[in-house]
Amino acid sequence: MTIDRRKFTLGLGLSALAAPISRAFADGLPTSLLGANPIWIPASTNPVPVPTNLGISGRVVVIGGGMGGATAAKYLRLWGGSGVKVTLVERATTYTSNIMSNLVLNGSLAMSSLSFGYDRLRRNYGISVVTGEVTGIDPVGKQVMLKSGTRLPYDRLIVAPGIEFDVIPGLESAAAQTLVPHAWKAGPQTTALRDRIKTLRRGGVFVMSIPAAPYRCPPGPYERACLVADYLKRNNPGAKVIVLDANPKIVAEAVNFGNAFNLTYAGIVDYRPGVSILSIDAAAGTVNTSAGPVKGDVINAIPPQRAGGIIATAGLNNVGGRWAGVDVLSYESTAARAIHVIGDAAATTQPKAGHIANQEAKVCVDAILRGFKGLPPDAAPVTNSACFSPITATTASWLTAILAYDPATGTMKSVTGAVEAPGPNAENFNQMKQWFSNLMTESFA
Amino acid sequence: MIHRLIPCLVLAAAGSGSALAQVTTYPPAGRLLAANCFQCHGTNGRAVSGFEKLSGKSAAEIAKEMTEMKAEATAQPGEKGIMGVHALGYNDAQIKAIANYFASQR
Repeated sequence: MTIDRRKFTLGLGLSALAAPISRAFADGLPTSLLGANPIWIPASTNPVPVPTNLGISGRVVVIGGGMGGATAAKYLRLWGGSGVKVTLVERATTYTSNIMSNLVLNGSLAMSSLSFGYDRLRRNYGISVVTGEVTGIDPVGKQVMLKSGTRLPYDRLIVAPGIEFDVIPGLESAAAQTLVPHAWKAGPQTTALRDRIKTLRRGGVFVMSIPAAPYRCPPGPYERACLVADYLKRNNPGAKVIVLDANPKIVAEAVNFGNAFNLTYAGIVDYRPGVSILSIDAAAGTVNTSAGPVKGDVINAIPPQRAGGIIATAGLNNVGGRWAGVDVLSYESTAARAIHVIGDAAATTQPKAGHIANQEAKVCVDAILRGFKGLPPDAAPVTNSACFSPITATTASWLTAILAYDPATGTMKSVTGAVEAPGPNAENFNQMKQWFSNLMTESFA
Repeated sequence: MIHRLIPCLVLAAAGSGSALAQVTTYPPAGRLLAANCFQCHGTNGRAVSGFEKLSGKSAAEIAKEMTEMKAEATAQPGEKGIMGVHALGYNDAQIKAIANYFASQR
C-alpha cells in the first residue's frame, strides 16, 4: 500500500496532475473525498439497527460479496430482523471496486483506495462472513458445499458471483495473459495495466477491445478509452488509443463518448466500431481482427463474459449457456427453486453494473422475506441504474434509467429510456465522488 | 362474494387483531420503492456525503420537490440533472409513497 502510494505521488508530481485536481475539487467536497486515497466510507456511519421483533425466521446463504451480495446480506438483516440468519460466503477477504477503477489508470486514484472489507457487515448487522470457495450447491438437500468440506444449510440461497471471462485465442498461457491484462476485474491487473500505460514508449500505441454486449458496465470501456487518452495527452504527446469495438456503435452514452473521442481526444482516440477480435499474438503485439491485423505497444483486450463459475457448476446457466435466467419479481432462478441470482450473473433486461445490482439485491431480499411471511413478492418492483463516468481527470458525465416491472413481458422495462448528461463537467465529477461514497456505504456499511 | 368476505375479515380482525395487522403492515409501505433512492441518499435516506439527507424530512416537502423536478424535466430530461430523470421515473402515487416512507424515518 505504502509503496503504491509513494509511486503515485512521484508519478503525479512529474505530471503535475495532483495539485490542479485537489484545488479544482476542494469546493463542495468533504476533505475525506480529496486526493488519491479518499475515505469513501466515513468512520462513523450511524448504522440503522437490526430489528428484533419482526417475527420472521429463516436461514439465507449469500454466495459472493460484491455489490449485489453485500447489499443482499445487509438488507436480509435490516429488513428481516435478528430471526434471519445470514451467511455471506466470499473467496476474498476484501472487495475491490470495479467502479472508479479506471481512475487508477490515469493516476487519479491509488488502487488501495478501492478496497472494502466485510467488518462493518459483521459488526453492524450480525452477518456471518465466511472466507471460502464454493464448490457446489445441493438444491435438493438445500446446502452449499465449500472446498473446506463445510456444508452450509439454507432455506433460501442468493447467488451473486459476478462474471467470468472467455479466453481469447492466443492468450491461453499465463505469460500471454500477463502481457495482455484485461483489468476488467479490478485488482493486480489494474495496477499492471496502469504501469504499462505509464511506460508506453513515446508516441506509442495503446490498443483496447470491447466485447459484444452484454458485458459488465456498458459505459466502462469507453470511459477507459477516455482516461487512458487523458493520461497520454498530458504525459505522452503523439501516443494513440485505438478502440476496437465488437459492437456496431457506442453501447452507452453515445453522445458524450462520441464527443470525447471526436473533440476532446481528437487525434488521440481512433474509435473503430464493428471490429471483433479473432486472436491475439501477445509477444508480437498483434491483434488479429475481423478488419485485419492491428499492432499495439500495449494491448488491453476486454474478453467476452459469462456468469461466474458457480452458475454453470450448479446448472443455473439456462440463458445461452452463459447467464442465469431469473424471475425479476424475486430473482428466483428459472432453473432451480429457492435459489436466487442477482447482479451481473443474471440474464435480465437490466445493465450489468454495481448500482443497479444494489437495487436488485433489495428487490430479491424483499421477496424472500415476504416469502418467509407467506406473502407473494411485490407485484410492481422498480429498479434504477445510475452511473457517473469520468471523461477527463476533472470532468464527468452520467447515464441513468429507471425501470419498472412490465407484467405483459415479465421483464423490467425502462420508464425513462437511458438518459445521459447534457455534457461532461466538473460538477458531475464532484457528484461522482459523493455518489460512490454513498453507494459503497449503502452496500458495505 | 364481496358481502360474504367483509364480515369474515372483520371477524378475523377482531379475533386475532395483531396477526392480521402484522400481515397487512409488513413490509412497510413504500420501503422497496424508496430503496431506489438509498444508493445516493443513503440507507433510509441517511446520506453520508453530498446528496440531501431525506430521512425525517416532511413528506409534503419531498413530494413537492419531486413533482417540481418532474415537471421541469419533462421537456428536457437530461437538462435538469440526474435527479430530474429520476423524478420522471415515478407516478404521483409512487412519489407519495416514497415521500411518506422517508418522512417516517429518523
